[in-house]
Amino acid sequence: MGLIDLAFLALSAIAIVSGWRVFATDSMVRASFLLLLSFTAVGLIILMLAAPYIGIATIFMMAVEMMVMALFMVMFMMNPAGLNPMMMVHQNRFAIGAGVVAFLGLSAAVLTTDFPTDPVDPGRQVIRDLGLEMLGPSMLIFETAGVTLLAAMVGAVVLSARTGRFGPSDAGSRPPGLEVGGEPAGRRVEKASGHGHHHMHGSHGGNEDVEHAERHPDADGHDADGGESGRRPPLRSDWSVGERTMPLKTEAPS
Amino acid sequence: MAIALLRRLAGAAPVPVFAAIGTGMRAAADDLFLDRRLTRANSIRHARILLVAGPVREADQDDIHRLHDQMLHPRATLWWKANAGPDFAEPTTWDEDDPVAALEAIHRALIDGTRDSEPDTLPNEPPNPWRGKGDYGQGGEGMMGGTPYGRPMAMTDDDLRDGLALDAYTAPFGPFLPMLPPGLKLSVTLQGDVIQTAELLRPPFPQAKSADGTVHALRALARFLPILGLDAHAVRCLDAARFLSAGTPIELTKIRQLLRWSGALAAIPPGIGVIEGADVRIRVERWLAALDESQPGTFEDSATTSPLKSARLVDLLRGREWSEAILIANSFDTETMIALAPVEAEDAEADDRDIEDENRMDHEGHGAGHPPEAHAHGAPGA
Amino acid sequence: MTQVLATLVLPLVLLGGIALAAVLDRAVPALVAGRSLKASFVGPITVASSWAVAQTGGTEHPDKVNWILAPILYFTLAAIGLSVVPFAPGVVAADLDSGIVLWGACESLTVVAVFLHGWSANSPLPLIGAYRYVAIGLPAMLLSMFVLIAAALPAQSLAVTDIVEAQRSVWNIVRQPAGFVLFLMLGLSLSLRGPFDYADPYDLVGGTTAEISGTARLTWWLARLAMLVSVSAMTATVFLGGYLGPVLPGFVWLVLKTSLVLVVLVCAGEVFARLPPDRMMNLIWLALLPLSFLMLVAVGVELLLWG
Repeated sequence: MGLIDLAFLALSAIAIVSGWRVFATDSMVRASFLLLLSFTAVGLIILMLAAPYIGIATIFMMAVEMMVMALFMVMFMMNPAGLNPMMMVHQNRFAIGAGVVAFLGLSAAVLTTDFPTDPVDPGRQVIRDLGLEMLGPSMLIFETAGVTLLAAMVGAVVLSARTGRFGPSDAGSRPPGLEVGGEPAGRRVEKASGHGHHHMHGSHGGNEDVEHAERHPDADGHDADGGESGRRPPLRSDWSVGERTMPLKTEAPS
Repeated sequence: MAIALLRRLAGAAPVPVFAAIGTGMRAAADDLFLDRRLTRANSIRHARILLVAGPVREADQDDIHRLHDQMLHPRATLWWKANAGPDFAEPTTWDEDDPVAALEAIHRALIDGTRDSEPDTLPNEPPNPWRGKGDYGQGGEGMMGGTPYGRPMAMTDDDLRDGLALDAYTAPFGPFLPMLPPGLKLSVTLQGDVIQTAELLRPPFPQAKSADGTVHALRALARFLPILGLDAHAVRCLDAARFLSAGTPIELTKIRQLLRWSGALAAIPPGIGVIEGADVRIRVERWLAALDESQPGTFEDSATTSPLKSARLVDLLRGREWSEAILIANSFDTETMIALAPVEAEDAEADDRDIEDENRMDHEGHGAGHPPEAHAHGAPGA
Repeated sequence: MTQVLATLVLPLVLLGGIALAAVLDRAVPALVAGRSLKASFVGPITVASSWAVAQTGGTEHPDKVNWILAPILYFTLAAIGLSVVPFAPGVVAADLDSGIVLWGACESLTVVAVFLHGWSANSPLPLIGAYRYVAIGLPAMLLSMFVLIAAALPAQSLAVTDIVEAQRSVWNIVRQPAGFVLFLMLGLSLSLRGPFDYADPYDLVGGTTAEISGTARLTWWLARLAMLVSVSAMTATVFLGGYLGPVLPGFVWLVLKTSLVLVVLVCAGEVFARLPPDRMMNLIWLALLPLSFLMLVAVGVELLLWG
């Protein structure tokens, strides 16, 4: 039972326990960082497998990703700190069942497989070999993946940018008509409802609506707008410095 | 032995003081902190002594209580030309012009232990009894009911800009926040750091204005520059203002050079806080122009000459990101500020009570925090 | 043996650097404000003692574990970052083949540490400071990765020791001068200083430090200074040639260069204005990231042509 074995057992234990805690904790932010801890342990195991670049890069990437995930939790989810002792999980029985089955299946696969023993020569320059592999035989895969990711980034920016195709996207841009001055072509934009997506747990009786409305007189400001489809005068961020006008309350979307 | 040494060193440190500024004392308080024996604590939790400078309103006494209780032990309060509220037993007052010696004496006494730390003024009760009720002990019906810890659950709401549902957080800010004009209390709904709506709860206190254009510009810059991170430049401006108002003529070229090199003007986003065609950048440029001695006597604040109609601070702040909002709030002088923050008297009172009933989070200093002995305001209703 | 030596020297370097940084932190603002430099040496000690005797604050239902963990994590990351810096030829605490990737991992975990620090207080202004820092810190970190890759190109290796050796012909600051400036900006961002202090600024009354006092505040301050030292040492190593230099022993050169970078960083922190986060994000994504790409291409071309 050398030092390496002990380290491996310790890191594996950390990875498994923190992975379990991800689901057992109420706080979303803590869950993200417990997942980060689990990945860090796995990254350190990869270090022990003589893949230093991949191990440290795993930790690096996962830190950034879990950070962004934690931020999204705070932005988009209700109860991100788990302070309200509500049930934060759904279909947990099914998930537990699926997890146990997967664990048993993978364990069976691991225990019945015959892994080769192929220790890496300590003097070998693994990073150099990795680099030559990535730009040699595996170049097609990595370049394709890279370009796909780039396309995804460009798509995300285009989707979220304020400049829509036919006008500012937050004013509901619609394409010009087929005749000059005629009806705009394309799908008519429906009146968007701002309420439906509030309650992600909508199936819990009418009490919550009443209490929600009582507790958030400020947050429910859009109720006062009545007929407007929940849209307020469009506000500029710093992107459109050139065409900036003062956002007045009287400016109504078309 | 080590503790005694630590205490001796701590006694020699500059006194951390939080200044809650009242009517007419802003310039005096700013000048006070030029003394190197004091240091200005921006957060109440970094302070040892709460200095209430100048008379405050009746309604502000409650905020002073809450500020006081957030200070960490050992602590004391000094009322400088101010009216102490009835809940403070034996308030320490100082009505002379220079309280530095008094502050130092109090500080040393606190560190030595010869002066007792002041006790809490608010009762020590949980804000909302909730444990044990409801399915999960959250104090209400169903899955999301009840208000554990007295806080409504963090929920999402539509963003102003594009309708995306993000977290919305409403809380009152002020009246003694160091980066807002003293006395100004706003109820702000934030999404992230963007202000969705702001509501005026209390207007700022009137302050004295210097007749000399250069001194006024220097003092305004000294309040403005720390928001851009230029604390040392602000100290320089205040030093210059003090010399000038004492009658000693000094050179302002160094200040102008430093400000040019710092890129302060370029850092301010254009087109924010527009009143009568002048945005924040233009107002700061006017102050900088007032520092330029080659154009004497051209200082005029056009905002005060023409009456402001239908311009309100809360409209200027709407949709602004927090830094920009603070820049806007600090770019006006006091008269313009009061004109921009008109109070509809009855509405303000009613809102005040509503907000304090709904949200038990008050941020005169900053966050929702109360010291471990959780405080509530022993306030109306429950 | 040399590893043990380096591991013993590391805390000394860190503490010495923290002391120097604390003194500069008082002296430079006094200089800019036109006041006397008296009490620059005694100042940090008395203020630190003042914090040590104060009570540590608490809020209602904070995330206690993370609140205590965050400053400790921050300090540890500074120490780990410093461990890849070679103090003399062959004397380095962590002799890794992928030293700059470890440095990158430390940078990204720093963002996590600062976020946790602001999040744990359960208070709005610290939380705003926390995610504002994330919004600026992530692209700043991307910048630094491109700059470091451009520094690794001439060395044909990701190890910091090889990068230093490759500077025997010409220092990296000459190969990519803009990269040096960008890396200094990253240094300011990592140590929460001056124009990049989005986590603890005045307009958030101290941001992530708004609710803390006492020993917690002391630890956070020490961790920030430690990170400043670590980033100065890394800058000196990657751009200014580290321990390379004619007459004096290598370690002395490293200390001199690190001190120089430290002075530059503290001065830059006091002199330049801080842009509002929106504007800074525009600047980073639209101007500085393309600049770092350009630097990478320039170094590559230079190596191809005159390699």
